[in-house]
Amino acid sequence: MTDRGRDIPAPPARWKRLVGEDGIQKWVFYIPVVFFILFFAAPMALTVVWSVFERTQFWMEPGFTLFAYENFFTSARAENYVLSMLHAAAAVVISFVIGFPIAVFIRRRVTRAAQHRVILLFILPFMISELVRVFAMRPVLGRNGVVNSVLMELGILSEPITVILYSPLGVIIGDVMSFLPFMIFAGFLALEAVQNYIFEVCDDLGTGRVRLFADIVLPLAAPGIFAGSVFIFVNSMGVALVPTLLGGPGAVNAGLIANQAIVALDFPLAMAISTIMIFTLVLLLYIGHRLFDLTKILEPIS
Amino acid sequence: MTEPAAKAVEVVELGKNYGPVTALKSVSFSIESGRYYALLGPSGGGKTTLLRLIGGFLRPSAGRIFLHGHDVSHLPPNRRPTSMVFQNYALFPHMTVERNVAYGLKLLRVPASDIRDRVDRMLAMVGLVGYNRRMPHELSGGQQQRVQLARSLVLERDILLLDEPLASLDAKLRKDMCLELKRIQEKVGITFIHVTHNQEEALTVADRIAIIADGELVEEGSARDVYETPNKRFTAEFIGDNNVLEGTVSDVSATGATLDIGFAKIEVPAPAASISTGERAAFSIRSELLRIAGRDEDIGASWQVVPARYVEDVYLGLTVSHLVQLPDGTEVVARVMSDSGDNGRFEPGDDVAVGWPANRARLHVA
Repeated sequence: MTDRGRDIPAPPARWKRLVGEDGIQKWVFYIPVVFFILFFAAPMALTVVWSVFERTQFWMEPGFTLFAYENFFTSARAENYVLSMLHAAAAVVISFVIGFPIAVFIRRRVTRAAQHRVILLFILPFMISELVRVFAMRPVLGRNGVVNSVLMELGILSEPITVILYSPLGVIIGDVMSFLPFMIFAGFLALEAVQNYIFEVCDDLGTGRVRLFADIVLPLAAPGIFAGSVFIFVNSMGVALVPTLLGGPGAVNAGLIANQAIVALDFPLAMAISTIMIFTLVLLLYIGHRLFDLTKILEPIS
Repeated sequence: MTEPAAKAVEVVELGKNYGPVTALKSVSFSIESGRYYALLGPSGGGKTTLLRLIGGFLRPSAGRIFLHGHDVSHLPPNRRPTSMVFQNYALFPHMTVERNVAYGLKLLRVPASDIRDRVDRMLAMVGLVGYNRRMPHELSGGQQQRVQLARSLVLERDILLLDEPLASLDAKLRKDMCLELKRIQEKVGITFIHVTHNQEEALTVADRIAIIADGELVEEGSARDVYETPNKRFTAEFIGDNNVLEGTVSDVSATGATLDIGFAKIEVPAPAASISTGERAAFSIRSELLRIAGRDEDIGASWQVVPARYVEDVYLGLTVSHLVQLPDGTEVVARVMSDSGDNGRFEPGDDVAVGWPANRARLHVA
């Protein structure tokens, strides 16, 4: 202790600087960056690169060709892709119409202590395999399914409706059933950040229900609604399971188109479709940014 | 203002329960029109509940509320002649200052040109000229509260309710805002009801103060009355810096009573409530009225003097607090202005005498 006190401490060895007490703390913060590059940026970049590779019989080889894109845009795939976007958009709109009022209800009408428990209930479906969940829609929506039998028993229908299964409508219903909770979670979280005082001020000013919704609730929840919408849109376009099980012959979404390309061992085509999906979503985010100014809605509330 | 004769606020046996919890026991009182009225009390005492009942944000469990003579007990907030300024975070975060203030008028379908004028006039009143286009998060806490004030005042309702409006501001700003609130109230002339737990704030802004604790109205009076001549022991302990000593009433006369506090008999002026011999009672005396002197010094005629032992002094800036111990062990505080020559005369352990003007002590029963 005594003679060490007089010495100027030697600079720590390089490895010590990296993994020493400070070093470890410093590097911990880079783990997300590494993770992001390894599992997100790199695969995306490879997807784009591979989409212009030459197709071989079982894999692909380096090269540059836009054949996969040409193949995509000149076949029925492009049309199916656009349809898939429309179906996804429909699922988003329906999820908003059903899910957002649920979020508002939970925030406004359920007592504070119970709110999170009620929200947790909407996580329960995710504990069942998605395959099972989507498959279970068949006996519900089918010709002799629950919906049709009940409506026919009640005398509301004389013939079963067949348009709700093995059809585009079936796919949209399946998407809504699968991804609705995302709208509830995101909407609720956005509303949770709104102070109770805001609602009391509205009571004081005499804001009617319609104005309260249009002027206050909707704009304040916009970031959450947008986040939930992106989630639902992406999943509706990308999860191949839903059209496979509920769509019937010929029904596809973007994910299923890519799947089919992989099954056909046309990897550049699958990569091209994925690349187009990436750019579609980036474009949507950009449009959303221009419309809502995402930086602004992500600013702290109050 | 429709009926100037009627009280602005009249509350009759008003009570509020949350299930088994009683937030407000049967409270009755009234506020005259044009007053700056403070509801003062400790946290959880029911003062905010009372304000929210007046504003219509809570439904009363019992009793009635009359505003300007009309029974409003079951009307929603927007149909009462009241407007509320909340503690904090109550501005619409997605609207500019101007739109925040204008929003209430827009709901009332006031013509756009009128809205502009009235909003600008209100912003000028609260000292925020030129802040029209700012967003709430660009404002300081004090400025946000000014915007809230403008948003409420612009509606031109007759009673303004303020729920701890300055609680989140720092001490200096709070002091400035107090004076500002008082100035604005004098200018607009409407009734202000201000809830606070801060006695200095209440004394600064209010003409009249009601002390609310444990769901009850403890005492009500002018700011000067509750500070200088508190009737209830709770008031004496809550407001100002009072010494409270307990004893037994040993004698009652026409002008006062004698309290036996063990080592001395203290003469106290007669209280408002009637008392009888043998009753337990307490008296309070404000610390700034106490004087400390040597044992054989003459403090003054008609002063009540008791022996004590000097403990220590505590420097507080404006004043110095001198602690002395009475023969029965209780400590009392005498406050003296820091620049007075009375400081530094005694050492800890010195035998001293402590005295106060006999007619300034306040007797409190139970």
